[in-house]
Amino acid sequence: MTGTLRQMLTCHWSARRIQRYLDADPAARLAPGEISRLEGHLATCEKCTQLAAEHRALHRALSLWSGGAAVDPRSVDRVRDFLSTINDEDTP
Amino acid sequence: MEPEIEVLLRVALTITSNQADAEDLVQETLLRAYRAIDGFDGRHPRAWLLTILRNTNANMHRRQRPGTIGDWELIRTARPAFGRAELPSAEDSFVDHELHADLAAAVRALDPRFRAALILVDVHDLSYSEAAAVMGVPVGTVMSRLSRARDRVRKSLRFSPSTRGDLS
Repeated sequence: MTGTLRQMLTCHWSARRIQRYLDADPAARLAPGEISRLEGHLATCEKCTQLAAEHRALHRALSLWSGGAAVDPRSVDRVRDFLSTINDEDTP
Repeated sequence: MEPEIEVLLRVALTITSNQADAEDLVQETLLRAYRAIDGFDGRHPRAWLLTILRNTNANMHRRQRPGTIGDWELIRTARPAFGRAELPSAEDSFVDHELHADLAAAVRALDPRFRAALILVDVHDLSYSEAAAVMGVPVGTVMSRLSRARDRVRKSLRFSPSTRGDLS
């Protein structure tokens, strides 16, 4: 009973940190102790490992869209030319 | 500024859903950034430019539709674009072709505020701070909206026939 409750609490604690762990964003890094605890839990908990896998798969699928959100190279060139024009106008 | 042109155009395209408008927005953004560069501390140039882009877009919208639009409303139509020409592997190809209809439906079903956070971070690969700059909200708000968006999309894909077994 106590073991099950402890497991549930650890799963809850882990679920709240999995996205930050996977993102590793500089604005919201987990503390080293949290990373160790989470990795230790993921090594033994199938449910949380599955959750992490789902987040990875979702991120992967979404990041493929960024290849589709293609910017027209001619747009990039035109903006680059525009930037050069501003620079040139400002150069004595 | 030059290395950020492509990111700015991608984000501008998400905001405006139109290539010509996106280009205008980025040019206006760069012009304003150029004028303000003396006041820039040199840290986090992308976030700085994205903040200017957001404010520039808000100003342009206010000029067109004064007083009718909230800041986050500006990205309510945020959506990913499709049509990648080359894919790196068969697995990626499967993900792209088999998942994207369900994924698109799940993303479109999100509240616009949640959708914007998801697209900026997961599709455009912006950091939390950069997404916060675009959305004009604190980093914590981005994190919370992102988390909810991902959970909703993930759960909705669990019940999708073509994704069962991949995300469930």
